[in-house]
Amino acid sequence: MTAPTQGILVIVLAAAVALGFGIGGYRVWKLYRYMRLGWDEDRSDRPATRLRDELVIYLGQSKLFKRPYLVRGLAHALIFWGFLVITLGTVDLLLNGIFGLHVPGTETGLFAWTIDLFAIAVLASIALAAVRRMFFRPPTMHVAPGGYVILVLIGVLMLSLLVFESAGIAAELVKQGFTPPPLAGLFAPAVRGPYAHLVFAGAWWVHVLTVLAFAAYLPHTKHLHIVTTLPNVLFRSQRPRGALRAMADLEEQETFGAATMRDFSWKQHLDGYTCTECGRCSDQCPALATGKPLDPQKIVLDVRDLLLREGDLLMRDVHASGTPPAHQTETKPEELWACTTCAACVEACPVTIEHVDKIVDMRRFLAMMESAAPPEAQRALTNIERAGNPWGESREARADWADGLEIPTLAEKPDAEYLYFVGCAASYDRRNQRVAKALAAILRSAGLSFAILGREETCNGDPARRIGNEYLWQIQAQANIEAFDRYSVRKVITSCPHCFNTIANEFPQLGGRYEVVHALTLVDSLIKEGRIRMAREGPVDRGNVAGHPERTTSSLDLAGGREVVAYHDPCYLGRHNKIYDAPRAVMDAVPGVERVEIEPHHRERGFCCGAGGGRMWMEEQVGQRVNHRRIDQLRAAQADATKVASGCPFCLIMLEEGVGAKGLQEQVRPVDVLELVASRLEGSADASH
Amino acid sequence: MKLLVCVKQVPDSTVRVKVAGDQKAIVPEGVTWAISPYDEYAIELALEHKDANPGTTVGVITVGPPRARDALRQALAMGCDDATLVTGADVETLGGLATARALAKVVDEVTPDLVLCGKQASDDDQGFVGQALAETLGWPHVAIVTKFVASDGGTEIWKEVEGGHEVWKASGPAVLTVQKSQKDPRYPSLPGIMKAKKKEIPEKDLASLGADLGGPSVEIRAMEPPPARKAGRVMKDGDPKALAAELAKLLRDEARVL
Repeated sequence: MTAPTQGILVIVLAAAVALGFGIGGYRVWKLYRYMRLGWDEDRSDRPATRLRDELVIYLGQSKLFKRPYLVRGLAHALIFWGFLVITLGTVDLLLNGIFGLHVPGTETGLFAWTIDLFAIAVLASIALAAVRRMFFRPPTMHVAPGGYVILVLIGVLMLSLLVFESAGIAAELVKQGFTPPPLAGLFAPAVRGPYAHLVFAGAWWVHVLTVLAFAAYLPHTKHLHIVTTLPNVLFRSQRPRGALRAMADLEEQETFGAATMRDFSWKQHLDGYTCTECGRCSDQCPALATGKPLDPQKIVLDVRDLLLREGDLLMRDVHASGTPPAHQTETKPEELWACTTCAACVEACPVTIEHVDKIVDMRRFLAMMESAAPPEAQRALTNIERAGNPWGESREARADWADGLEIPTLAEKPDAEYLYFVGCAASYDRRNQRVAKALAAILRSAGLSFAILGREETCNGDPARRIGNEYLWQIQAQANIEAFDRYSVRKVITSCPHCFNTIANEFPQLGGRYEVVHALTLVDSLIKEGRIRMAREGPVDRGNVAGHPERTTSSLDLAGGREVVAYHDPCYLGRHNKIYDAPRAVMDAVPGVERVEIEPHHRERGFCCGAGGGRMWMEEQVGQRVNHRRIDQLRAAQADATKVASGCPFCLIMLEEGVGAKGLQEQVRPVDVLELVASRLEGSADASH
Repeated sequence: MKLLVCVKQVPDSTVRVKVAGDQKAIVPEGVTWAISPYDEYAIELALEHKDANPGTTVGVITVGPPRARDALRQALAMGCDDATLVTGADVETLGGLATARALAKVVDEVTPDLVLCGKQASDDDQGFVGQALAETLGWPHVAIVTKFVASDGGTEIWKEVEGGHEVWKASGPAVLTVQKSQKDPRYPSLPGIMKAKKKEIPEKDLASLGADLGGPSVEIRAMEPPPARKAGRVMKDGDPKALAAELAKLLRDEARVL
């Protein structure tokens, strides 16, 4: 090649690079400006954890390998890792083409082999991806034509790479200090000959131009996640998952919740850019699965699309607010109210998108700005406000369940080591009062020093906060913090995962810091310390755990001295607080109990009972009831289970309702794990009253 | 249109009231106070009218002790425009007629087009003040109202009757006593609550209104809590046939429901 031709080619290359990256860069700049319309949320805490997440979730692709997605997860990881290696090669190509420089290490045999092997893996993976999209597309998967464009671009990239590598070997343009890598080596003889140089140059240009087309096209598609996943993982929330974002200085604000695109944080907008439209969140959503209008992926994409649509307007005019997202025709309030905040979507998302926070922020707008919560939810809020519990039972009746049990209040026993925060459900719901009694019996038999607040206890506000009424949550939480501090409480036991979550993870936002333990975690350690002793034949009638005479022991209870008990993971114990093992360990320690799992919907994939997020107090008229679906899953997985045990009062209510509605009372009985323990306590016959 | 809603602060329905030692009143300590439920419906009806007719103003008034200010604050948070507290020394023992006469003095001053009251307060369930107010003012009164709309030269008023409703028409000012309706009273928005917190609530002295606070009244002789419910009985052991016979016998002889 003559020098002038060489010079022209370098200029053409440089111009192409400028064009490709210019088009892509302009779009990225615009998206960045839109993103910054969001408010300034600080996501710089816990840098070490962020770095670890980056290594594990981003580089390690850890969230892709969840069980139902193992094969395609591996395919994705191979494309991803292949890209990392090949990108290095591409940078080298461009630098070499324009400036004649090399990235160190790219001329070694090791690098050639790595590229070659990854190119093979990537080709295989995109073939798999294409076949799946064309012939085995799951119903929740949303495939835009852009998806195929990207697959074709990647395919061309890999093929052109292999061709020019082969031609390079054939034309002996590449220094042969090493064994040729397998694929390039295989094809090399085919291109050997007079045209090798030409093939090399052609493939090189095809490859480089494809890279540039890719750079220009990428930011216009969901494939931008290739770039945005890195910051999205780095800046993911480091709050405990169960804690909603605190709203500071409510008295000083004028608007509440997400009324406009400016009311989401920049990170929430980055979530939208990062969504890969893979549909895993939708796959796991209990609301969507039972025919509700909610689809978590759609919520994320609706907000993103609205930002793209209104971004220019909002940037031009600082006073413009755009249409509130909850008023858009795309996102309807019914969708937002259908959410149980179970976080199955958050758990499933491979790129750490925070769906629940977005939904709650929009609920906050509806609940606080517009007072537009569903009427039944509104009634629950009024009840919390006036009576201190969502059922609207009398404040004075809060400790009636403990009448005659000689359970001291903190006023009577201010030096008690533990406060048992009973919660509204165990205080007022008759079924759950039996669980409170069971726990009291267990704690007493273990010789633990504890007391309750009695009438000084009030709802901690969890349902209010999740319905979107942050103001009421703050009032309720504050009232409890004041009561705790009156008695210098340090350690708190809860039998309700919602109480546990809000006291442990959310009270610190208002300055209330306590050592909080869920009853099952505590009982687990008490059993391990040998402080709880159980017998196969407990002194208490097994069907009559806590003085509830209307239900008697039936033959299904102890067939052959064993009973099969399925465990149902409460979302606020499991996914929100990662307490999976303690309840299982407690069950395994109960004599005669054979624990079984509701597979595959257990542990991280546990299926909500339908009561979370304030849904307990809302009507459920669309589709199948979530708790009924849960009973179906239980029966399908473990038809022999005679009991289904949980660790949450709301799960218990929902499971009881589901079993009742399906007429299965004689087959399977919902219980709390605490009741299993209490029914086998060794010692005093009145252990559980 | 100018609307005035009269409300009363009463113990919230979730409160378990206790009778005081002298048996003439309830123990006020530990009581959660609220706007009487029918009065809340009256506010809702007024605010719905305001939503549909932007020129409307809704005032709210109560005759009561200083704590009744919270009830007015709640009404303001729901969306009422202004509030007035009438209070004074013996306001807690004021009879219904005297309350109506005090309200009438304020109505004379405010000159609303319509006055709305709940059909009765949930504490004593007397259902007296609204009617007495109409009588004192010499205004017409419609009871058990669930809806009203302004029409040519007056107001059309929906009055609930057995199995349906009647539509009445008032040609001038009137007093409506309001029934529970389909739509629950609204829950205040947070901006509404914040705005209400900052609003002035003017106070009027009961004695200086110039109303005749004497006249016939009722006196509480004694009050006592309802008797405690007897514990239920569970029959579970034995032959179902014998159990059924036993149950029938008990229902007939003891419970006397058969």
